[in-house]
Amino acid sequence: MPVLRLPKFGKPVKYAYITGRVRAMKTKLIPNEMYGRMLGMDISDIARYLEETQYKEEIDLLAKDYSGAELIEHATFANLAKTYRKLLDVSIDEPQFLMLEYLRRWDVWNIKTVLRGKFYGASDAEIMKYVVPAGELGTEFLEGVAKKDSVNEVISAFDGTDFAEALAKYDGKSLASVENALDKLYYFRMERAVGGTLSVGGGLLLKYVKREIDVKNLVTLFRMNKAGIEAALIQENLIEGGKLSEDLNRMAGQPYADFVRSLEGYPFWSAISDIATSSDEDGVSRIESRLKAYLVRYAWALSNYHPLSILPVLGYIVSKETEVSNIRKVVRGKEAGLSNELIEEQMVVA
Amino acid sequence: MAITDAGVMYGLLAVGAGLATGLAGIGAGVGEQGIGAAVVGVVAEEPGFLGKGLFLMLLPETLIIFGLAVSLILMFAWTPFAAFMQ
Repeated sequence: MPVLRLPKFGKPVKYAYITGRVRAMKTKLIPNEMYGRMLGMDISDIARYLEETQYKEEIDLLAKDYSGAELIEHATFANLAKTYRKLLDVSIDEPQFLMLEYLRRWDVWNIKTVLRGKFYGASDAEIMKYVVPAGELGTEFLEGVAKKDSVNEVISAFDGTDFAEALAKYDGKSLASVENALDKLYYFRMERAVGGTLSVGGGLLLKYVKREIDVKNLVTLFRMNKAGIEAALIQENLIEGGKLSEDLNRMAGQPYADFVRSLEGYPFWSAISDIATSSDEDGVSRIESRLKAYLVRYAWALSNYHPLSILPVLGYIVSKETEVSNIRKVVRGKEAGLSNELIEEQMVVA
Repeated sequence: MAITDAGVMYGLLAVGAGLATGLAGIGAGVGEQGIGAAVVGVVAEEPGFLGKGLFLMLLPETLIIFGLAVSLILMFAWTPFAAFMQ
């Protein structure tokens, strides 16, 4: 006898609360036109402006310890971590699981930060300034790791965890291979964890992540092909699991002009065509900014097709990260005395 | 088979009237659960949205009026039944 299956009314409803909330949070993000005005301000004015936004609490709290660019940098990082933690706290079930899987990238970021800090002999306090505890690893654990004396001791602190295998690639000379292995591990783990759920929400998250991997690989290709590095070495640095992984693998090691020509027709081509075909020497970093902006737009465009899914949340997470990195670029650029045009080129405006 | 017994006819009409309002109510409830959850999410960030949110949440409620209208027609205005009442 066929079993009567009632439609699962509760399924998309799980996302109704969190998507409603992130859409309201999105309205509080700094509007794109404000970045242009920020370029005309000095650093103290930017700090004052940020005090009128969602960064107020962090700026007020950190103002006694830091000032100028440092204050803004730490306040934005603290706010980013707080916002992501809030998203995890106010969600349950599938949305929370998928979000946590995505936010594990900050674990990778934090491990990289600690390793780099130790590699170049920074103090634990210095390292902790750049840590963003938005993933699974908490502040206390990271503080403990940052207090270790050497890179090898940091690596041994992760014995028995998933990170151990990637960290074992450290050769004592450079961190590039470890960092690359950590990135690959992040995407591998996500595909294993999220792909295993076979849920609609997980599928949508993977759809975005596959595009993200493609963009990362594309940036690697732009950099390495331009530098004329041989194909095998480039392929080693590409992350597996993207939608276009096979195509991009084939493009490794191609002469730069041929490589650019072969990108025509791909969905991201319209975002980068004008810079990619120009003979601009600094084009690669501008292409990177354009591709990142394309990713932000892609996340929001996908979320229009699936309004009650993880995608609006993902769109917000990506937009928030972009906002923080834009503010930091303006502030650091101004501090270093860079021209407004140069700073503007580096900013990601979706 | 024609239903000739007035009592059975009355019973079936009452069941129909009940289903019309009841199913409309369930449908509105299903619609409202998502809207309600989303409104609570938005109001948590933007308390000023409460008025608009409540209005949006009550929109599916209007569907019950259709069900209720059908029920009332069945019970009091449908000709054979009205004739039966006399």
